[in-house]
Amino acid sequence: MRGGIERKMARWGVAFVMPAIVFFTLFSFYPIVSAFLTSLTSRKILSLLKPDFVGFRNYGYLLSSSDFWNSIRATAVFTLGTFIPLLIFSLVIAFFITGMKRGQRSMQLAYYSPAILSSVVAAVIWLSILDPRGLANQFLNTLLGIQGVDHHWLASSVMVQFSTILVYFWKYIGYFVIIFITGLASIPPSVYEAATIDGASRWQSFGRITLPLLRPTIAFVSIMSMLQCLKTFSTQYLFTQSGAPGAPINVITLNIYNTGIRDHLIGRASAMSIILFVIMLGFTAVQLRVSGGDKVSY
Amino acid sequence: MYTPVTPVQKIAHYLVVTLLIIGAAAVLVPIVFMITASAMPAGDILAMPYRWIPRGFHVENFVRAIRGNDASFIFLRNLLNSFIVASVVTLTTVLLSSITGYGLAKFKFRGRYLVFLMIMATMMIPFEAIMIPLYLVAVQLHIQNSYVGLTLPFLVNAFGVFLMRQYLLTYPQEYLDAARIDGAGEIWIFRTVVLPNCIPVIATLSVITFRTQWDTLLWPLLISQSEKMKTVPLYIVKFAAEKYTDEGAMMAVALLASIPVVILFLTMSKYFIGGAAVYSSRKG
Repeated sequence: MRGGIERKMARWGVAFVMPAIVFFTLFSFYPIVSAFLTSLTSRKILSLLKPDFVGFRNYGYLLSSSDFWNSIRATAVFTLGTFIPLLIFSLVIAFFITGMKRGQRSMQLAYYSPAILSSVVAAVIWLSILDPRGLANQFLNTLLGIQGVDHHWLASSVMVQFSTILVYFWKYIGYFVIIFITGLASIPPSVYEAATIDGASRWQSFGRITLPLLRPTIAFVSIMSMLQCLKTFSTQYLFTQSGAPGAPINVITLNIYNTGIRDHLIGRASAMSIILFVIMLGFTAVQLRVSGGDKVSY
Repeated sequence: MYTPVTPVQKIAHYLVVTLLIIGAAAVLVPIVFMITASAMPAGDILAMPYRWIPRGFHVENFVRAIRGNDASFIFLRNLLNSFIVASVVTLTTVLLSSITGYGLAKFKFRGRYLVFLMIMATMMIPFEAIMIPLYLVAVQLHIQNSYVGLTLPFLVNAFGVFLMRQYLLTYPQEYLDAARIDGAGEIWIFRTVVLPNCIPVIATLSVITFRTQWDTLLWPLLISQSEKMKTVPLYIVKFAAEKYTDEGAMMAVALLASIPVVILFLTMSKYFIGGAAVYSSRKG
């Protein structure tokens, strides 16, 4: 009798999770397997012919293609150039905000406000600001005490990379500030009090208490922001659509999109997708290792 | 909380606060720019130096934004599409995440942990890597340019399942047992005993989902070719590329596209901020 009830409950459990199992099988596992299989063929979108099996030739092509390596370079520059400043600034800002007596809440809201906007809206606003006649030139020229110089924010290959980083940094800084504030709030005040009684300065307590105790949050934020940066698409897409030079900011997602959808080379685009997936899998594995064996004790 | 004591510490403290305020102001500048520029004629926006206070309200920007350059008013349709897609996705995500989370948290069956791990594993598959196979499926099913096509890949996600499961793990088993002894059916229990107790976490999940969906560019870019089935981000991309010179109308579009999420934020800011914090507790 008891066994009967347990069996009945087990059946209900299976019934509750079944829709999700079906969904994830169809829309996550099947496509990634399919992407891998397609990456071994010469499939083109419009072709009615059965695609040829080409083994790892697509991968071979990519590894010897300067266009692909340029995408790897663009993605690496963007990722490193964005997530390192994001990490450092959001940590420092969060630390200072938690030290404020008044106005913590409004400060958080001010830094968080760009995160509310869509990435496309963010990119469009910056497109106007970075216009040759726009605010960015005016501001920089005032700062440098010069007049009428155009810094080619959207035209020079170095500056356009910097501009995409700037947009992303601006959009996500507040998001990570909030995460760090949550992390900082979980450190018991008594630890600081004890340190102050022992005569530690504020910088000492930051270096010796805050940083070590915050290590899991720091690991989490760096991997999260890194993974997000690797997937960046909107800003680069909108910038190139509006006339910025493509090559410097041809990040890997943009290259997948253009190769697959514009050039119809599905096999090659799938190979790029799989490479992106493997890179992100690698970083996720690092994250699990770093934060898994990392139980902080106070 | 930190209390400065010596004069040097006090000076340092005020210096830090000043820097924080300057930083916050710098972050707000582009938003203020969007709002002020949306009320100015194009000539004023690119005037040097930029005048921060608009002379009057240049309503033509908004007229232009809504009518579009071809007077088709397609922006309104695209706005409606974004609403429909984001609402449907939010609804299904909440529903499917909560039944799945409930099943995983409160029922014992063989393979339960495996199912949980399997769902978590999908977090590691970036959408960018599977968009092309999904696109090919969508082509075969002839669901391009349809709401079905726009929503299908996003009906539920691993994060939602995780969130609901973690929340329900702590839900007292006695309440469920009591209802069962009274002879209540499982679906009734879920609807009237479990769900009403999940309102805060459902609010957080809804806000995150709606906000993310409102922002989605890549998938609609693949499957919405017809103007009628485009969403707001696609409209913005098109508008920016086709009339790059009229900054005023562009900022008006950006502002109009932001109003729904700003309203959402102002009414539910607790859950927005909570959402960021929830992400950080995802590990551990």
